[in-house]
Amino acid sequence: MTSNETILVTGSGGFIGGWIAETLYLSGSANVRAGIRSWSSAARLARFPLEIVLCDVLDKESITQAMRGVTCVIHCAIGARDVIVQGTENMLGAALGSGVRRFVHLSTCEVYGHASGQIDETSPYQYTGNPYGDAKIDAEKLCWEYREKGLPVTILRPPIVYGPFSTDWTLKLARRLQSGNWGIFNEYGDGVCNLIYITDLIAGVLLAANHECAVGEAFNLNGPETITWNQYFTRFNAALGLPELGTIKPQGARLRTTLVEPVRSAAKFALTHFRAPLRRISQRFRLARLAMQSAERSLTTSPRSAELNLYSRNAVYLTSKAQAVLGYRPKFDIDSGLKLSILWLDHLGLCPNASVH
Amino acid sequence: MVKTPNQTRKPVTSSGSSPRIALIGCGAIAELYFLPALAKQSSVLGFLTLVDQNIDRARKLAEAFGVKQYLADYREALDKADGVIIALPTQLHHPVSMEFLSRGVPVLCEKPLAESADKAREMVELANKTGAVLATNYSQRLWPQFAKVKELIVERSLGEPVDIKYYVGELFKWPTVSGFYFNAIGSVRGVLRDRGAHVMDHICWWLGGKPKVIISQNDAMGGSEAVAYVKFEHNKCKGEVKLSWLSSFPCKFFVEFERGSIEGEVSYPQSVLLNIGGRPQKRVNLKSESYTALGDRIVANFIRVVVGKEKPLVPAIDVLDSISFIDECYAAATRFEMPWYGIPEVIK
Repeated sequence: MTSNETILVTGSGGFIGGWIAETLYLSGSANVRAGIRSWSSAARLARFPLEIVLCDVLDKESITQAMRGVTCVIHCAIGARDVIVQGTENMLGAALGSGVRRFVHLSTCEVYGHASGQIDETSPYQYTGNPYGDAKIDAEKLCWEYREKGLPVTILRPPIVYGPFSTDWTLKLARRLQSGNWGIFNEYGDGVCNLIYITDLIAGVLLAANHECAVGEAFNLNGPETITWNQYFTRFNAALGLPELGTIKPQGARLRTTLVEPVRSAAKFALTHFRAPLRRISQRFRLARLAMQSAERSLTTSPRSAELNLYSRNAVYLTSKAQAVLGYRPKFDIDSGLKLSILWLDHLGLCPNASVH
Repeated sequence: MVKTPNQTRKPVTSSGSSPRIALIGCGAIAELYFLPALAKQSSVLGFLTLVDQNIDRARKLAEAFGVKQYLADYREALDKADGVIIALPTQLHHPVSMEFLSRGVPVLCEKPLAESADKAREMVELANKTGAVLATNYSQRLWPQFAKVKELIVERSLGEPVDIKYYVGELFKWPTVSGFYFNAIGSVRGVLRDRGAHVMDHICWWLGGKPKVIISQNDAMGGSEAVAYVKFEHNKCKGEVKLSWLSSFPCKFFVEFERGSIEGEVSYPQSVLLNIGGRPQKRVNLKSESYTALGDRIVANFIRVVVGKEKPLVPAIDVLDSISFIDECYAAATRFEMPWYGIPEVIK
């Protein structure tokens, strides 16, 4: 990586892509071109004077524009299945045509499906019906096809990525813990929580983008500690300065999840198709608004069925290959990562009880 | 240099044909706000011209709203419009408005009125000189929860305001077409210029003047800020503002008076919570219209301004303090501490 080369980061409007673009800018190691799907996702990135371009991975014209002069692609764009699969194929095709020196594809440990135990990169793909994981498998297969065609591809498989700007594993979880409805789930939460702090992930991405031996390889990336989900909830809760978590009985959790699932689907449908009228109703009638807010709180603070499955999964994603080949060394233990996450939440005014005050 | 005519243009009278309005700029605000409001003015629609340098975009909106005329260059409308609505990226408000004002054409300009107080003042001065009306779309002044605060301050029933807290945290989702907020043609001003336009206007309007900036912080790293914090003072009153495009938190205002307080929500115009003289807080219902109806009033008012039948609901001169206040917040701003941006050696 040189300060003269231009690196395109797709999905820069998102958590991981945004971090990669920002870090490349701050480190001054290359010209970064931050690709976003629409301008409405640019508020975070625009705090930096970096080059932001529209790069809708489903729009070949947009990709062609974004790829001009690019020598390395870090592909982070995600979305529905077509974005993950067709979007990746579009990017691979454009990268092959441009003769880039490296194409780093951000994948996921979800490609291993429900596999348990010590998982290294030789573990087979496992389709599970999870749309995200299944689409990522298909995207990886496309990457291997393009590797055969001569594209210098590297695949990275991170697990649970947390830290500032993480919606799922930092922001939403903080809200769940703050709601008072969250707890520890006994055996449903005793699965391994494979956490990687965002900065460790970026270090891995940049190693993969530069190391000669990374071409044609896939690497798991993970954090330095192995803890359970219940432990993560407990430690996050303590860092937020909240009262001790109660135990949610497994049967109760499963039952609640099962009951809430159809309501969640109905709410999603209503929000998708009737957002404007619902907004008008909530602006006009206070009771309706309070009822909607209460329903939203209840839905967002109940675990989904797929989440309970995740919390009980006993898989450890090994990073020995990344350590041996790339020299990958994760630096952030959970306490360090949580400390920075809490500072960020506090900055946004989202954790009034945290010990940072 | 803008040329100024010697004579003030006479208002179009309703006895003749309907006023010829040009909507300059066909981005998201035109599509979602101005055009639906103009479409309700049936007499105007036939004489409306849409203008956008992206002629395909202008044509698309013209077809969608039944508008017959559209142009790519606003200069073609300079001598053909009786009134113009400026719905352009903020940095273009000043230069384009100045051209119309110099010809005495009434202007309704989207908020924020201009990029800086100096430019806003130039616009107001030119309007005064040529006699053209310069109105601006600070529509939230019409919202009853904010008007109630002003009413309490004016009638002094609770004494003087002593503390104001105002928080607006909403993820940025505006479907901007040009991306002017963030791309190279835009400026390096972010949430404070955007959401702050209304918030700082309310504060200056309520207090009857521009407060002094005590602390101003934001998260800009050479670009436009997405989170901003301001602490201010004005006479006996102190206050703070927090604005965010990166997180959602309850969008509320609290105004404490010497003998009571009022609390309201930005997106709920139906009622406020009032505390009078230490008595229990009570919810007071307000006479309210929908946001759409309130927005329509600004546009309907402007049409009547053009034909000389009304004065503007929000004259541009009324918002100068808030633009100046925002300028001072930017000038005084320091960066928040953000230790999560410490870049480890391994990445360097």
